[in-house]
Amino acid sequence: MIIVCYRLLCGVMAGLALWSLFSAGKRAEKAVAAMILVPLVLRALLVK
Amino acid sequence: MSSPRDIPTSYRFSLGALVVAVAVTVVAGLAFHALEQRDVVVGDGARRTTLSAYSPGLTGTHGDTDVYVLEGTQPGGTMLVIGGVHANEPAGTLAAVLLVETARVRAGRLFVIPRANASAATHVESSEGFPTSFDLTTASGTTRSFRFGGRLTNPVHQWPDPEVYTHYPSGQLQSDFDVRNLDRAFPGRPDGVLTERIAYGITQLILRERVELTVDLHEARPMNPIVNCVIFHERAQEIATMASIDLEAEGVKLRLEPSPKNLHGMSHRELGDHTETSALLLETANPIMDRLHGKTSARLILDGKDEFFRQAARAGLLYVPYGADGLPMEERVGRHVAALMAFNRLFGELHPGRAVTLDGVPDYAALKRDGVGRFLKDSAK
Repeated sequence: MIIVCYRLLCGVMAGLALWSLFSAGKRAEKAVAAMILVPLVLRALLVK
Repeated sequence: MSSPRDIPTSYRFSLGALVVAVAVTVVAGLAFHALEQRDVVVGDGARRTTLSAYSPGLTGTHGDTDVYVLEGTQPGGTMLVIGGVHANEPAGTLAAVLLVETARVRAGRLFVIPRANASAATHVESSEGFPTSFDLTTASGTTRSFRFGGRLTNPVHQWPDPEVYTHYPSGQLQSDFDVRNLDRAFPGRPDGVLTERIAYGITQLILRERVELTVDLHEARPMNPIVNCVIFHERAQEIATMASIDLEAEGVKLRLEPSPKNLHGMSHRELGDHTETSALLLETANPIMDRLHGKTSARLILDGKDEFFRQAARAGLLYVPYGADGLPMEERVGRHVAALMAFNRLFGELHPGRAVTLDGVPDYAALKRDGVGRFLKDSAK
């Protein structure tokens, strides 16, 4: 159950990071969003 | 069909940032997983098993760790040497590795766990600038790299910490972070948190293999009064006392500290109480663990030299002798090896035929003279 909740939370945060990455904004914000997005998705996929 | 030129500039930057992020994550991930590789070369006559054989709850987890078994052809006693309960205390792990790679057991059985908390070796404590590894040079000139880790189980592997840690089975309340401290988790339980499952595995190994003598190798801060000492369960009091006297002749001063009965979770207390083993815990002094050090580096791990500690020693603030030579690794590993060999010898004197007969292990003088790396095997072998 905790894993499912964790993945849901990661999904929401990854969605926000993805939106930040591809919406109009500063380049620094996009770079930060990319650095948050990738480890977040990997962690959500690999968590046991 | 659109060409890359049709993609808006801002999207192109986003995709580029994504590619860079993937590259950085892969490099960081590989570096992280490199921390989990074995750093023991199995010696002649040693075989490898895992702690999960004694605690199935560890199977496939980062808490599972290697157990090395060195068995003689003649019957004798059974001894367990534990290193790496705290992965930021490297002299214990190195002494255990040295046993696996050099000892030849003639009679009895020797079990060695060089990295009792394998998870703790996969991270270092934050905000201290600790190195993640240090190198030793072998006799042939090749380099052996050893991990320097943290005191506690990696929070990536055991999370979250409770508000208050309740030790099992005593029910004693302890600090929240100690839920990830293997030396507060003994005797452990099979269905507990990861650290408790590791402790349970070690307790089960002692019970199933009928281990008679257990020595847990640690290091401590030079400003901590519990340093350069042996902490003993009451069943091991005679061995500890006699060893302290014997070691004086070798130039090793070993303080005696009885295991407190009202502080739970530590190996010298719980392994003695919950099994028949004679439990002892050794502490050497390691400056990088203390608060007073200057720059944290692999060099400080190895030579223990630090100007701040020299000043502290002059001011009488240290509980160990400290001079221009610092506290080198060969001295610390030598103390561990000399003490555990003395415990084994004296156990045999008190219980005839129950010592582990072994040779090939360098003594304190040889280690101090030639260094630890000189006696280790080459990685490639």
